[in-house]
Amino acid sequence: MGKSIVITSGKGGVGKTTSSANIGTALALMGKRVCLVDLDIGLRNLDVVLGLDNRIIYDIVDVVEGRAKLAQALVKDKRFDDLLYLLPAAQNADKTALTQDQAKSIVVELKNEFDYVLIDCPAGIEQGFMNAIAGADTAIIVTTPEISAVRDADRVVGLLEKNPLKEESHLLINRIRSHMMVEGDTMDIDEITHHLGVPLLGIVLDDDAVIATSNRGEPIVLETQNAAGRGYRDIARRLEGETVPLMKLEQPKAGFWTRIGQWFKRG
Amino acid sequence: MQAVVLRGNQDGYQIVLDQAASFEEIKVELRGLLDNLATDAQVTDQISFDVLPISRLLTAQQHQQLEQIIGEYDHFRIHKVIPDVMTIEDAITLKEQDNVHLASQTIRNGQTLELKGDVLFLGAINEGGRLLTTGSIYIMGTVLGIVQAGFPSAEDQVVIGDLHEAQQVRIGEQISIVEADQPQADSQTIAYVNDLHVLEYGSLAALKTISPKLYHKMGG
Repeated sequence: MGKSIVITSGKGGVGKTTSSANIGTALALMGKRVCLVDLDIGLRNLDVVLGLDNRIIYDIVDVVEGRAKLAQALVKDKRFDDLLYLLPAAQNADKTALTQDQAKSIVVELKNEFDYVLIDCPAGIEQGFMNAIAGADTAIIVTTPEISAVRDADRVVGLLEKNPLKEESHLLINRIRSHMMVEGDTMDIDEITHHLGVPLLGIVLDDDAVIATSNRGEPIVLETQNAAGRGYRDIARRLEGETVPLMKLEQPKAGFWTRIGQWFKRG
Repeated sequence: MQAVVLRGNQDGYQIVLDQAASFEEIKVELRGLLDNLATDAQVTDQISFDVLPISRLLTAQQHQQLEQIIGEYDHFRIHKVIPDVMTIEDAITLKEQDNVHLASQTIRNGQTLELKGDVLFLGAINEGGRLLTTGSIYIMGTVLGIVQAGFPSAEDQVVIGDLHEAQQVRIGEQISIVEADQPQADSQTIAYVNDLHVLEYGSLAALKTISPKLYHKMGG
C-alpha cells in the first residue's frame, strides 16, 4: 500500500506543478513506483512539464465516466523503466466533473499499485481543492517567500486543519532567491516556517534552468549539478525517511576590492 | 398544602404556585382563589400579581392559560412571571458571558473565532484571521490579524495587550486601522472607546486618569 500526497498552495504560480513533476521524478530515480495525478481539470499542464502531452489518450474524467479503465488512462514515462506514470486531467471539462468520492476512490485504487501517489492540486480553495485533498494521506504545502503566497498558504493550512489528513502536512519553500533572502528583502526560511507552524520539508532555490528544462519537458532533477534539482532530490530523500541537512543559502560573493579591504581590516 | 397561595408584601401581591401540584390543580385552585377575591366587595382598584412558580418552568402555553384565567376578572392582571429556575441551556449561556475564556489556537488567514464573554488569548492570530467576542479581550499571544471586543455593538469593552502588529482593532462598532493609529509596541496597551465614541489607545498604568469609569469597572 502506497502513500498519497497532495501538493497544494492556495495561490497559483508558486510551483505546484513543477514541484509535483520533480518530486515524482526524484522518487522514481530512487527506484520508487510513482503515479502523478493531475487534478487541475480544465487547465492541465503536468503532462507538458513531464513532456508526456503527446501520449495522452484517456484522462481522469474518462475514467470516472466509464469510457476507459484506470490502467488505460495512465501514461507511462519511458525514461524511467516502468516507475513513473501520469494520470492526466481532462481539458474539456470543469472542476465539477469530479466529486470528492470519485477522486478518493481513484487515489485509493492507485495506492494499491504504486509506492507514491502525488496529487497536483489546482490553485484556489474550491471544489478542485476539496477533490485533491479527499484522497490524500498527507499534504505538501508549497509557498514562495512572497507575502501573498505565504498568506494564501496560511489559509490552506487552516483549511487542512479543519479537514485533517492522516499525517501532518509539510512545507516546501520554493523559488528562493538567496541574495534577496540573505539581505533581508524577503521573509527568511525560519520566519515563514514559524509563521505557518508547519514542519519544513525542504527548500528549492530559484533558477532559470527550472523554467528552461520544464519548457523542454525534462524535470530539473535530471540535472545532477543544479541547485534547484538538488533541492527536489533532498525532498524526495526526506520523504523516504532519510535525514538530509538543509542546503545552505549562498552568501553574496564579495568583489575584488572588498576582499582586499578585508585583509587590512583583519589586522 | 395548597397549590396556589396568595401573598402580599411591600412589593405588591404575589401568587405562589406550589411545586408539588399539577398544573391542572393550579388552574382549578387559581380560579377558586380569584373568585373569592372578586366577590370581596372591597376590591375596586386594579390589582397586578407577580406569579412565582416554585421550581417550575412554565411553557408558553401554560403562561398563556394563566393570563387567560386571570384576564377573565376585570380588576386583575399578571404583572410578571418570576421563575426561580432556568434551563441548563440558559444557565450555560449565562455562565459563558461571565467566564474568561482561554483561547490558545492559531487563527489563520480567513478563519474567524467567535466567542462569548471575556477572552484571554494566548495563541496567534495570523494576518486575515479574526477573533470576535461579546466581552473584552486580553492578549498574551501574537496578533497580526483583527480583534474585535464587544461584538457586535458594546462599546464599554476593551482590548488589552500588544496590538502594534495587528491589522485592525474593533470595539463595538468603532474600528481602528492599526497601521494608521500606531499604538505602542507594549503589552500594557489598552484600546477602549472614549466618551466621544472614538477608539483610543492608552497605557494601562494611565487608565485611572484617562478613564476613571473604566478603571473602576475593571476592578481598580
